[in-house]
Amino acid sequence: MQQQGSKSGSEMEVTWEDQQNINIFSRLNNRVHDLDDDIKSAKEKCENLEDAGNELILADEEMVRFQIGEVFAHVPRDDVETKIEEMKEATCKSLEKLEQEKESIVTQMAALKKVLYAKFKDSINLEED
Amino acid sequence: MSSSSPSGSGSDLTERRGIPAAKFIQDVETYLSQSGLDPNSALAFHQERLQQYKVVEMKLLAQQRDLQAKIPDIEKCLEVVATLESRKGTGEALLADFEVSEGIYSRACIEDTDSVCLWLGANVMLEYSCEEASALLKNNLENAKASLEVLVADLQFLRDQVTVTQVTIARVYNWDVHQRRVKQVTPTAIAAADS
Repeated sequence: MQQQGSKSGSEMEVTWEDQQNINIFSRLNNRVHDLDDDIKSAKEKCENLEDAGNELILADEEMVRFQIGEVFAHVPRDDVETKIEEMKEATCKSLEKLEQEKESIVTQMAALKKVLYAKFKDSINLEED
Repeated sequence: MSSSSPSGSGSDLTERRGIPAAKFIQDVETYLSQSGLDPNSALAFHQERLQQYKVVEMKLLAQQRDLQAKIPDIEKCLEVVATLESRKGTGEALLADFEVSEGIYSRACIEDTDSVCLWLGANVMLEYSCEEASALLKNNLENAKASLEVLVADLQFLRDQVTVTQVTIARVYNWDVHQRRVKQVTPTAIAAADS
């Protein structure tokens, strides 16, 4: 909130409900930032798996070195293909879920913004700096 | 919304795991007269509270980072144990390339085995059967995830208190500015009325 008083010098009453709305907005904002990071890394993982799948098709080795934990195990090609397909599906699904969550939170934040701006007008700043 | 949303004017939670809650002020004037503080002292008190909250937040964020690094490690270990278990019946050896030193890899031939060794930390490594290892790792994973959840809830509570404190500081400041303006206007009005 602005440190200076509003131009008319009138004191805005802040009710507990307003405070709770502000708190919820703050929480949602933090969650959106976290989600953005998660979405970014999930997208990267999806792309990497896609690339790995393509490389696999081009390669003609029978044994592929597939990373499990910290080591590269020698795994037959078909198993690796299946594994990569599974991982791709799982990652894409979780990416979808994350994006849905983000969308719903952004909607909630827009609604809260409306309520808070209606009450506080210039005395409150809810934008990203 | 969450377990810490109260319905009354004050928070039902006076503190959470050692973090004191920031009391919501209904009316600035009442608060200042009840506490006997002048605006500057009240502002100083709340600023200090804010600093303390920040310190705790740093600590919690560091703990969160540690846990977030630990969880993928445990998951990787579980994956390896699962792979070994799945090969148990077949009798085939597992060939694996592992890093000996940076950029240098060597090949290991892992025979069909019933047991794995787990590094427990503090220079201690214990041998377990695959099932026991799996159970232990799963347990550790559950605990880490549960701790992370509690930590995230703590951070949310903390952030709420920071927000409440920041709003309180702004309101006390605005009230003070408003009071000074009123005091400035009143003498002028009296002077105008007199003349």
